[in-house]
Amino acid sequence: MQVQRDQHDAQQFWLALLDAVRQAAATTSSAEPPAATPDFNAPAMVDRVLSELADARGGITLVIDDLHELNSPEALAQLTRLLMNLPPHVHAMLTTRHDLRLHLHQLRLAGELAEIRAADLRFTELETRELLDASGIALSEAGAALLHQRTEGWAAGLRLAAISLADHPDPERFVAEFSGSDRTVAEYLIAEMLERQPPDVQDLLLRTSLLDRVNGKLADLLTGRHGSERILLELEDANAFVESLDPERTWFRYHHLFADLLRLELRRTLPAEVPGLHRRAAGWFTLQGQVVEAIRHTQAAGDWPEAARLLADHSFSLTLDGQAQTIQALVRAFPPGTDHPELALVRAGGDLVQGRLDEAAAYLAVAETHAETAPPDRQRRLRVAIASLKLSLARRRGHLAGVIEQVRFLASPVTGQSDEDIALDRDLRAVALMNLGTAEAWSLGLPDAERHLREGAVLAREIGRPYLEVGCLAQLGFAYIFHGAAMPKIHPFAMTQARCREAIALAERYGWGAEPVIAPALMTLAGTMVWLGEFDEGERWLRRTERALQTDTGPDIRLLLHQTAGILHAGRGRRHEALEEFSAAEHLGSQLEGLQALASQMTGWLLATQARLGMTGEARACLAALDDERASSGEIRNARAVICLAEGDPAGALGAVRDVLDGTAPVLGYVTVVEAHLLAGLACRELGDLRAANQAAERALALAESDRLVLPFAVTGSRELLEALPRHETAHAALLTDILDVLHGASPAATEQSSLPPAEELSPGELRVLRYLPTNLSRPEIAGELSVSPSTVSTHVRSIYAKLQVRDRSSAVQRARELRLLAAGRTR
Amino acid sequence: MRFHLPALNHGVMDPAPALYMIRINGHLGATVLLAFPAMTSRLQGAETVLTGLLDRSALYGVLAEVEALGLDLLEVRQLTPHRRSPELGDSRSP
Repeated sequence: MQVQRDQHDAQQFWLALLDAVRQAAATTSSAEPPAATPDFNAPAMVDRVLSELADARGGITLVIDDLHELNSPEALAQLTRLLMNLPPHVHAMLTTRHDLRLHLHQLRLAGELAEIRAADLRFTELETRELLDASGIALSEAGAALLHQRTEGWAAGLRLAAISLADHPDPERFVAEFSGSDRTVAEYLIAEMLERQPPDVQDLLLRTSLLDRVNGKLADLLTGRHGSERILLELEDANAFVESLDPERTWFRYHHLFADLLRLELRRTLPAEVPGLHRRAAGWFTLQGQVVEAIRHTQAAGDWPEAARLLADHSFSLTLDGQAQTIQALVRAFPPGTDHPELALVRAGGDLVQGRLDEAAAYLAVAETHAETAPPDRQRRLRVAIASLKLSLARRRGHLAGVIEQVRFLASPVTGQSDEDIALDRDLRAVALMNLGTAEAWSLGLPDAERHLREGAVLAREIGRPYLEVGCLAQLGFAYIFHGAAMPKIHPFAMTQARCREAIALAERYGWGAEPVIAPALMTLAGTMVWLGEFDEGERWLRRTERALQTDTGPDIRLLLHQTAGILHAGRGRRHEALEEFSAAEHLGSQLEGLQALASQMTGWLLATQARLGMTGEARACLAALDDERASSGEIRNARAVICLAEGDPAGALGAVRDVLDGTAPVLGYVTVVEAHLLAGLACRELGDLRAANQAAERALALAESDRLVLPFAVTGSRELLEALPRHETAHAALLTDILDVLHGASPAATEQSSLPPAEELSPGELRVLRYLPTNLSRPEIAGELSVSPSTVSTHVRSIYAKLQVRDRSSAVQRARELRLLAAGRTR
Repeated sequence: MRFHLPALNHGVMDPAPALYMIRINGHLGATVLLAFPAMTSRLQGAETVLTGLLDRSALYGVLAEVEALGLDLLEVRQLTPHRRSPELGDSRSP
C-alpha cells in the first residue's frame, strides 16, 4: 500500500493497510469490509491486522510505500509493534525518503533487518549504460559516462534524462549541455521535459499539478479544454512520471518530484490563476461529495471563511465517517490569529470525542454566541448542530435534564432545503436519539429509553450509519438490564442477554467487536453472566470490555466497569478486591450527575462489602452520612441488615429488611428482594427459628427461579441456609442444586473444551428434564415438577442418554456438565 | 471570546528565529527558488547559498523542501547565536 500524501489520520492509514492485507490474503470471511469509526482503537486494529496475516495461507510480503508521508506518531508507534510481531511467513518492505522513528534496533541486532540506502540505490556507470540501452537510447560511452557523472547515479535523474533523450535528435549534445549547466539536476531535466511537450500538454501538467490526484474530467475543468483523459493516458504510456491509480485508468498521480516542480513552475508562470484553479477544483470535489478535498482546496485558495463554513457543516458527518483526525489536521491548517466562529463548533466536536468535556463546553458557548448573529439561512443548521453536541456533552456528564433540554428540535419534523441538509439532519437525529436513549436508561426512564434507542437504531440503518446502529443497540442492551430487573417478567436476564448478543453480532460483522462503541453491550453481558453464577464466562466478557475501552470514553462507562468487576469478585468471595472496585466506582460516581438511580445500588454494595470484611465502623459512618431518601431505598436497607448481621444483631437485621420484604421500600429491581429474603433467612437462623429460615430461603428461590439467579445466594454467604433446606420440601430442587454447585466451587463452565461433542442437540423438553437429573428426585417426582406424565419423562430420559452417549443418570449429569448443557438452560 | 489552545504536537517552545545559511550544490533557478520564499539566494561558484531568518519549525520546513526537491544539501549553518532562553539552555549548532 502507498501512504497518502501528508497523512495525518492514523485510522485511514491502518484501514488502507488492513484492506491491502485482506485482498492479498484473499481470506473468504463473511465480515464486512473494514469501516472507519469515530473512536479509533489503534492497538485493536493492529491485532486485527496480525490475525488476518496469521490466517493467510502462504507467504505474504507487506509493502508500505512512501512511509515518510505518515505524519502520525501514534501510527508509527503501532507500526513498530506490528513489525516486531509479524508471523514467520510474513515479510515487510518499507520505502521512505528519510529515516523514521520506528525503533527497529532489536530487529537490526537480530539480523532481521536489511537496509537499502541511497548509496546502494545509486546507479553505477555500467547500470547507466544498461538503462540507456534498455530505453533504446544511442549514446556513446563517453556520453553515458558524462551523464552518470552529472546525475551522480541518481535514479530519478537518470529516468528524467532518459525521457528527454528517448526521441531527442541529438543525444550527445543534450548530455553535453546538461553536463555543462550548473542548474540542479531535477530542475534542469524537468524544465527540459516540459519544454518538449506540446503547449496543451504543458498547460495540462501545470494546471493539474496542484491536485493530489488527477482525473480527465477534473483536468478538463481546470484547463477549459476537452480531451485531457487522452493526454493523461498517453503520458502514462510514454513515461514513468504519470501513473494511473486504478485498473480502469481514470485517476492518475504524478511522481512527487515532478508534481512539486510543476507546482512551483505554475506559481512562477501563472500566479494569478492559482486561487481560481483551487476554487474550481473545490467546486468539483464538492459536487462529487469529496468534502475533505474540497475543503483543502478552498483553504489553498485562501478562502478561509468559506473553508470554515464547509468544515463546520461537514465536521459532524465526517466524524461519523471516522475522519476525526483528518478534521483536526484541517483545523490546524487555518492561520493562527484569525477568528472563525464557525470553527468553534468543529473544535467542540473534536474535544468531545476525546473526552475533554470542559473545553468542549467552552467552545460550544462561543458557537452559540455566533449562531445568534448568523444569517437566517445558516441559523437553523447551526442551532441543530450545537444542540446535538450539547446533547452528547450532557449525556457524558450524566446530566439528563440537560439532555432533555436539547431535544426540542427532535420534535420538529425533518425538513431541509437540500439533500445535503436532509442527510445532515438525519445524521444529527440518529445521534441525538442515541444520546437521549442512553441518558434516559441511566436515569431509569426505561420505556422512553427503549423507544428512543430503537428509533435511533432503525433510523441509523435507514441512513446507512452502521456505527450508530451498533451504538444504539449496545446501549439498548444496557438499558434492558434495568428494565429486566424492575419486575420479574419471564426471563428478563435472558432477554437482556439476547439483546446484547444481537448488538455484539452486528458489531462483529463490521469488525467493531473490540471498539468502545460496543462496550456497553459487552459489559452488560458480563454482568448478566455474573448474576447467573457464570463467573468464568462473566470474567471473559469483562476482560473483553476492558480491551475495548482502551481509549478513554469517560467516567460513565468506567464506573459500570468497576461495578461489574466488583460483583464478580463478590460472587467469588474475594471481598478485598470487591471493595477496591466498589470504592473506585463510588469515586467516579462523584464526578457525574443524575446518578441517583444507580447510586443506591453502588453504595449498598460498598457498605455490605465493608461490613462483611469486618469494617462495620466505616460502614456505619457512611450509612449515617446518607440523606434520608437514599437511606430508605431497598438496597441500602439490605446493606444495613448486612451490617447488623456482622455486628451480631440479627433482630436488627430483620428490622432493616422488613420494608423491603413487604414491598414498601423502593427497589432498583427484584434482585434486591431476593437478597432481602436471604438476609432475613440468615437472621432467623441466628435467632434459632429454623422454620422461618427455610421459608425465607424458599421465597428467595421462588423469586430467583425464572431467571435462575445465583449471585445473591453467593454474595450473602447463604450456603448453610440452603443446605438446611430439606430437598423434598422445596419446589425448586433443580435451581437449588445448581446454586449449591456454584457455591461449592464446582463451576459447571470449568471445562471449555469437551472431548466429544453431542451427537445431536437436546430438545427444550429434554433440557428441562436434564436440569432435574442432578437432584435426588425420582422420575415420577420430576414429572410432577414439570406437570407432564411419567412416561414422557422416561422417554426424554432415554433420548438424553442416547444423545449424550451414556447409560446412567450420574454419567448423564457429568456429561451434561462437560458440555455445559446445564448452564445452557440458564443463559440462552 | 477567542480561544487559543496550544497545538498538541509541540512540546517545546519555539526558540527565537536565527539567521541560517544553507548551501546547495548547483544553481537554483527561479522556479525552485519559489519554494524558499523566506530566503535570499546568491550564487557562489557552482553552488547556491540561501540565507534567511528562520525559527525552528521554518528551518525544518526548509530542510523538508530541500529533500522533496532532490537537492544536494552541502551545509547548514547558524550565523547568529540564539538569544538565551532559560527553558532551553544553550542550543547552539556548529
